[in-house]
Amino acid sequence: MRTRLPFPTSRWAIALSSRLTVKLVLFYGAMFAAAALLSLWGTREAIRANAEQTIIREMTVGSSIFDRIAAMQIEQLHRAGEVLGSDFGFRAAAATGDAPTIESALDSLAGRLKLNHAMFVAQDGTITGKPGGFTPRDRERLIAALNEGSETGIARWAGEPHMVAAAPVKAPMLIGWVVFARDMNMADLRALAQLSTADLHPRIEPLAQVPPNLRPIGGRVAAPVQMTADGERILVQARPVQNFGSGDAQLLVLEYSLTQAMQSYMPILWSLLVFGLLGLLVALCGVVIASRSLTRPILALAAAARRVSEGEHVEVPVETQDEIGLLASSFNTMVRDIATRERQIAHMAFHDGLTGLANRTLLREQLALSFQSGDRRGFALFCLDLDNFKSVNDTLGHPTGDALLCEVAARLSAACPTGFVARLGGDEFAIIVRRDGTSETMVARALIAALAEPFAVNGHRIVVGTSIGIARAPQDGEDGIALLKNADLALYRAKNDGKGSFRFFEAAMDAEAQERRSMEIDLHEALRNGELELYFQPLFGLSQNRVTAFEALLRWNHPTRGMVSPVDFIPLAEETGLILPIGEWVLHEACRAARTWPDHIRVAVNVSPVQFRSASLNSVILQALASSGLPPQQLELEVTESLFIENVEATLASLHSLRALGVRVALDDFGTGYSSLSYLRSFPFDKLKIDRSFIIDLQANNGATAMIKAITGLADALGIETTAEGVETIDQLDILRKQGCSQIQGFYFSRPIRAGAVADLIRELDYQEQAVQAA
Amino acid sequence: MRIPVPALLLFALSAPASAGSLDLRIVDQAGKPVPDAVVTVYPAGGVPRGGFSFTPGPVMTQENIAFVPHVLIVPVGATVRFPNHDKVRHHVYSFSKPARFEIKLFGKDETRSYTFTTAGTVALGCNIHDQMSGFIKVVDTPFAAKTNAAGQASISGLALGTAQVTVWHPSLRAKDNEQKSVVPIPASGAVARTVTLILPALR
Repeated sequence: MRTRLPFPTSRWAIALSSRLTVKLVLFYGAMFAAAALLSLWGTREAIRANAEQTIIREMTVGSSIFDRIAAMQIEQLHRAGEVLGSDFGFRAAAATGDAPTIESALDSLAGRLKLNHAMFVAQDGTITGKPGGFTPRDRERLIAALNEGSETGIARWAGEPHMVAAAPVKAPMLIGWVVFARDMNMADLRALAQLSTADLHPRIEPLAQVPPNLRPIGGRVAAPVQMTADGERILVQARPVQNFGSGDAQLLVLEYSLTQAMQSYMPILWSLLVFGLLGLLVALCGVVIASRSLTRPILALAAAARRVSEGEHVEVPVETQDEIGLLASSFNTMVRDIATRERQIAHMAFHDGLTGLANRTLLREQLALSFQSGDRRGFALFCLDLDNFKSVNDTLGHPTGDALLCEVAARLSAACPTGFVARLGGDEFAIIVRRDGTSETMVARALIAALAEPFAVNGHRIVVGTSIGIARAPQDGEDGIALLKNADLALYRAKNDGKGSFRFFEAAMDAEAQERRSMEIDLHEALRNGELELYFQPLFGLSQNRVTAFEALLRWNHPTRGMVSPVDFIPLAEETGLILPIGEWVLHEACRAARTWPDHIRVAVNVSPVQFRSASLNSVILQALASSGLPPQQLELEVTESLFIENVEATLASLHSLRALGVRVALDDFGTGYSSLSYLRSFPFDKLKIDRSFIIDLQANNGATAMIKAITGLADALGIETTAEGVETIDQLDILRKQGCSQIQGFYFSRPIRAGAVADLIRELDYQEQAVQAA
Repeated sequence: MRIPVPALLLFALSAPASAGSLDLRIVDQAGKPVPDAVVTVYPAGGVPRGGFSFTPGPVMTQENIAFVPHVLIVPVGATVRFPNHDKVRHHVYSFSKPARFEIKLFGKDETRSYTFTTAGTVALGCNIHDQMSGFIKVVDTPFAAKTNAAGQASISGLALGTAQVTVWHPSLRAKDNEQKSVVPIPASGAVARTVTLILPALR
């Protein structure tokens, strides 16, 4: 037997454990990693979106700050221009074209207001003052803007953006404009940048230089555009500003590096990643612990299941109330159920289901045990068989028969409380009784007495007896099998002795049994080897005064045994069932022989009860008639009264079906068996054969004659022929003739003869009878 | 020195044996009649020197913080009075070349006057009230008239021949706010002309 390893270290257990754990770890690890990555990605996206939103908001704010600052500064310029433009002296100078005065006025203001440009533009386009770095195109644009009525805004002069304010000069009609302008230099824009939280790198650019996708569409600010410069992602937006004049529009361009914005969030993302990894580690540890706690009871269950399959009774502790606990308790229930069922199966294997007694198997084991124990005093085996049990079953039905068997079992157990009672099957029982002072004879009598009492079963009063065969150990058998066989032989003998008796086994019984066995084997061969032969004994019709029939009689001429008597081998043939092929052979032979005889001579064939009960009898008879060509009325079947002991209905039905074939039916051995006359009324037999015992007594006993007279009278009244068997003397013949017997059969006329001698005998007897008649 | 206008006209027009007249209609680019445009005609045959006047007379009233009339035609040498009918004081000035002057702070029911010696357009303003604006057209021809509300001006007594017609309007974007054309004048009867001025849109 394989050495079992304790389960935690067994190899497959580890494999299972690691497999499940690895599965769980992989699955949950992947899930958690996915979740962590998803959250990381989501956070990054949210941060990015938020950063973008913030930047866009900053841009909006920055832009509006810019607008407000620019508007404020321009308004300041504008007010200064208006003050100058409405000054009476300046107006007078402007109206009269007093250039030196105008210039001096403009100069002083330019110095005071830190202007880059201060000039008077007359209505005819003449510029007085300092246009400083003006291109002709700038000048054209300025005049066009003034004529449009523009007063404030941003314009690009000499490539630089300027805040421009123009104030009209009226004297009182419009004669020109005072124009003040200031560079929008980097410093101004920086100042603007400082006002917003993010450095938006503000700059003013001509519309034409701004990429088309950044330009405002229909007055609406275009969405920020992402651009890539030097590997940085930059968000750029262009916003409209108040322009001075409609030509050469300017845009405020704001930009912010997204890459830099995201840079500030990197620590957050890194810490998220680190904590995600830590979380993953924690989750994996948790999964390992959880899976261990899951696999441990499963492994325990698996190990327990394996031990159960090896036949052990193992239960596992139920530690939890969860599904695992439920599984464990179910497992325990299953193990208990299996044990219960195994006990039931074992009981069924060794006990009789009906009576609960030990069965043959257990009896054998018990016998073996008894032999092994080597008890000096020894023991005896009683084999019992109920008498007439079959008729109980047939007449009262199996349920009643079964109930009777249970009652019998109970009585046997009660009658022999120290014995080991077993039921071998059917109505056979066996009891092992230890030798303890009580003699076997007393036990046997007690048992017979116990079963002799009538039984009350299912409302029926039933009387059964029992026959008992007894074999004693150790002298009557060296093992259980021999002992059982010998007890059986004793039982067989007891039954033969008469019902309600018991017999001890004797060595001779064994010899007899062996002889029977040998004869049985020989009988098997006999049919094949042609050792069987039919002899015929004539039946002489007293009224016809001639042979009317021959009875076919079977003879066995064995090569070494010589002639074997039918009395010896017919019962054997009936017991073994060999009577069926033998009977068939007899019918065929008899019919074949009778076909050669004169038409008025019938052949009588004995039909054994075994044959009679076989379903094939009718077809065998038909075949014999057909193959021989014998007319049915020339065949007479002889049946015995014993048929009526058992199922009368079935017997009558069979008799009628035989009669339907056209054959004659005779009742053999009349007067010895079942003494009921009722069946004579139930079935019209063609003939009664009066048993030879009545004939033998004829000369010594008057009563016998009266009996013959009564029988023949009865038969005559019913229209049945009578045949007297065993007629050996002329006196018997005379009496029989006188008493009205139809036919006689016996040595007086002829012994049974071989088939070949039949023809001579017919002739001879016919002659002899004539002599009898003459006498 | 006041000269009745009909007398002057009679005097002026009596010289030529026969006379034609000019009917002008002044519209802007949108076809709307332009009032307060001044038409001056210089026939090829020349104009009489002095001795003529216009209706209304040379009075530029300040009334309801405005110059009334808005445009006043006077002959060269005319002295224009500036009566103030407002309760506030005014400071009338002109930076125009033909006549540069200031009449400083004069009150209600005070009248100042100024004599215009040079032909041309004099734009009047008030240094106190910037919104006040007026024009005195100093002309050296008797053939001058101001368009009415329907944008019409009619000048008669013109001799046969061609005439230079000048249309002036303060808003006209041109040299001296003038637009000139030559129109043939018939011996008798009227010649009708429509003159379109390109004026800046009103704002």
